[in-house]
Amino acid sequence: MTRAGRWALGAWIAVLLGCAAQVARTEFSTDLSAFLPRSPSAEQQVLVEQLRDGAVSRLVLLGVERESPERLAQLSKALAASLRASGRFASVANGEEAGFEKDRELLWRYRYLLSPAVKRERFSAVGLREALEELLAQLASPGGVLMQRFATADPGGEIMRLAEQLQPLARPKLHAGVWFSADGSRALLLAQTLAAASDIDSQKAALELIHAAFAEAAAGSDARLLASGTGVFSVASRARIREDALRLSLLATGLISAMLLALYRSLRVLGLGLLPVASGALAGVAAVSLAFGAVHGITLAFGVTLIGEAVDYAIYLFTQNAPGAPPGSTFERLWPTLRLGMLTSIFGFSAMLFSDFTGLAQLGLFSIVGLLVAAAVTRWVLPELAPRGFAVAAASALAPRALALAQAAPILRNATLIVLAAAFGYLLLRPQPLWSGTLASLSPISAREQALDAELRRDLGAPDVRYLVVVHAPGEQAALRASEQAAAALRDCIARGWLLGFDSPDAYLPSEATQLARRAALPAPDALRANLAAARLGLPFKPDAFEPFVRDVSDARTLPLIDRAALRGTSLGVRLDSLLVKRASGWAAMLPLRGVSDAQAVAGALKGTPDAVLLDLKRQFDDLYAGYLREALINSLAGAAAIIVLLAAALRSPRRVFDVLTPLAAAALVTCALLALGGIELSIFHLVALVLVVAVGSNYSLFFDREAPPGEDRGRTVVSLGFAAATTVVGFGVLALSKIPVLNAIGSTVAMGAALALVFSATMARRT
Amino acid sequence: MTIGLRRALAAAAALLTALYFVPALGQAAGTLGLEQLMHELAQVKSSRGKFVERKYLAMLDTPLESSGTLAYAAPGRLEKHMLAPREESLILDGDTLIIENKRTGKRRSLTLQENPVVWGFAEGIRSTLNGDLATLRRFYKVALEGDFRAWRLRLEPTEPRMRQAAAEIRLGGSGTWVNRIEIFEAGGDRSETVITREPS
Repeated sequence: MTRAGRWALGAWIAVLLGCAAQVARTEFSTDLSAFLPRSPSAEQQVLVEQLRDGAVSRLVLLGVERESPERLAQLSKALAASLRASGRFASVANGEEAGFEKDRELLWRYRYLLSPAVKRERFSAVGLREALEELLAQLASPGGVLMQRFATADPGGEIMRLAEQLQPLARPKLHAGVWFSADGSRALLLAQTLAAASDIDSQKAALELIHAAFAEAAAGSDARLLASGTGVFSVASRARIREDALRLSLLATGLISAMLLALYRSLRVLGLGLLPVASGALAGVAAVSLAFGAVHGITLAFGVTLIGEAVDYAIYLFTQNAPGAPPGSTFERLWPTLRLGMLTSIFGFSAMLFSDFTGLAQLGLFSIVGLLVAAAVTRWVLPELAPRGFAVAAASALAPRALALAQAAPILRNATLIVLAAAFGYLLLRPQPLWSGTLASLSPISAREQALDAELRRDLGAPDVRYLVVVHAPGEQAALRASEQAAAALRDCIARGWLLGFDSPDAYLPSEATQLARRAALPAPDALRANLAAARLGLPFKPDAFEPFVRDVSDARTLPLIDRAALRGTSLGVRLDSLLVKRASGWAAMLPLRGVSDAQAVAGALKGTPDAVLLDLKRQFDDLYAGYLREALINSLAGAAAIIVLLAAALRSPRRVFDVLTPLAAAALVTCALLALGGIELSIFHLVALVLVVAVGSNYSLFFDREAPPGEDRGRTVVSLGFAAATTVVGFGVLALSKIPVLNAIGSTVAMGAALALVFSATMARRT
Repeated sequence: MTIGLRRALAAAAALLTALYFVPALGQAAGTLGLEQLMHELAQVKSSRGKFVERKYLAMLDTPLESSGTLAYAAPGRLEKHMLAPREESLILDGDTLIIENKRTGKRRSLTLQENPVVWGFAEGIRSTLNGDLATLRRFYKVALEGDFRAWRLRLEPTEPRMRQAAAEIRLGGSGTWVNRIEIFEAGGDRSETVITREPS
């Protein structure tokens, strides 16, 4: 071993030890938000936060089906009872009265602090006269019975006003006392966990509890439980990511190892061949851990990417060695080409490094560091460790045939051009857009799960909110005051017919200022009695009919102000939590709108409310996605441009740059056409995968471009390229088996693209 | 709800008095008579009438009077249109109860299943008109007095929440025409509605 070799070995071991130490204290995350964009605007930030951790994200939507309605109702009640008793849920609603007793008591008790109609004039003789005349008319009317019970304690009808104001936008229908879907086939429940949606362990425990409670309630029945919601998705995705990362990495490693063993016929060389990959993966994880603080599960699954590409380096080293030549001597000649290929890949991966998706940025860094280390290990460490005089017999045996094949390939040049033209024409002429225009395409959740979620949401009558007013404020009280201001503007909009209705946090929890003002508007008992006496002159009410009212108003004058704590455990509290949220800095009040007919006018009406913004959620999400797609396209183009500059600098011939790039562009184009033909809408992930195709494929086209004496050497080069491409196709092909959209997209695209890149590099080669 | 269908019998009072004189007969007719009455009522597919309703409320010195029209269509639709002192409609159709004020354009819709008390009131009247004894018995203990020409149904709520609201509902009729509805509320308030056939 040479002196330089010993240094290389020593440095390698030192680096590995350092990386291992870093990896040992690395946190591995499976939080899917890494694949949600890092939002650029404050409004979108609120949305993403809500998706991640908001009260809405803590909802579990449940459906029970496949039994008679009566049995389903029993199951719903039994399940709700055991979930309520578990103490893990903030609320469990299934339509049963039991759930609303507390709400009713709360509204009744605090009606004079909650009702927006409470003003000083309303308790004057004139105001009360108006109220009593209205009450009389209502008592005579068919609907009068509804208020008869409350009339003596609440002649102004505050409780009716509150009930109307707080009525949910829509509710599922009731059967046998519990919620059912419109077609009556499914009993519905809505549970809200105490744990945050991002606390996946607690979410998992809550879900297991739900399933266990259901299994117990439904023992011996055919009933089936459906569950959906952010927590359900997080738990399922984590399980899937863990399973896929482990299973697919093992499968790919196993398959590739088997292929390499068949080629090398030496366990030692096989082991050596995996060294660059293992070192690269270790260094990649360590680098991501250092840069991002944690490593995402999907990044790990991407170890497969490295196996696909870095194993190639060892293949080139071992396979291209002529029999009897010292290890590395052939490699000396290959190194410049290999180095250029590696740099091309790194330039390609760098597009991902700048991605706004944390997940993709991690993949980029992981790949770049991994490739650098793998190439360095191949260059300086492997030759030191390889057995002297090792040659791959199969490579020599296959070389003549491979060479013949490669030399014959350009016959297909015209056929290739026809395929290319067909693909181009197809992409140009197909009526559907090639790129998916919705954020949903990035969702880690399968289309089937999304459909179930949408179905349960529709069953539960939760309308899709499209317009949302968001108000930011430094504190909770400021947010409530701002919400009151925005609500006043919105009531004006309703009067003008620009929208039908809205929900706002101040309806559940008025600001302290408002509550104090309402409390101050309530007169003392004697004054109220005097006003009442004046008000009922000439009306048929008995003199002392409204004593309960006088008593309740008097009580309300000393009632403590209503706060979050008072609302806890009620469905009103649950709704408040979803509308008023604490953020990293400050608070946000959210007012979902219903029936918006003139969004522009509403936005205009809100101008007077500082910090209030009208969001069009659909547009926001679509804009968000369009923004990321644009960003990804620009990154990719920048990556491609960087590759062109690199090749131009290295090859110093525009014509050779063209020769190297043409097969790669062709492979990318035909891959797109094949994916489109398969009915797949391309997402950002496919775009990134196409960059990987260019990165991986550049090795092939560079080797075909390389000046090399025809003969056995060149034959071995072709064999090694074929083998390298095969391992890439297997590695990424395995990734395509994943149920996780990002892995599936990248896997299928790169597997297909790499194979095409090799074929096109051969058929489009200029020289034979 | 406080509705019923029936015509005004000028002789209602007289008939009722007569009924009290023959209680033994009415009770002897008992169960059989009830089923027969229900069977007869079930034959009526639609009817229309005018009503005058008086509410006697503890908080009021004098009764509150309102009037308007009533319409019934088998099996489940019942409309009460109050015309005085102001216009307001109450429409019961299937599971839904709609209270509509044409003047203000306000419209409230209730689902019966979500409002057990309202549901109880509504079925007390509707199921009687519909001759649906099974539904009636889900909510009430049912007793019949009188004969076919002048009968009185006494409905006593069985469900606890309903009992908190209403002590008893009495419907009076002659033949298949329901002409009187009285609701005795648990708190002592009561209402009586007299229904007369609309001259056709």
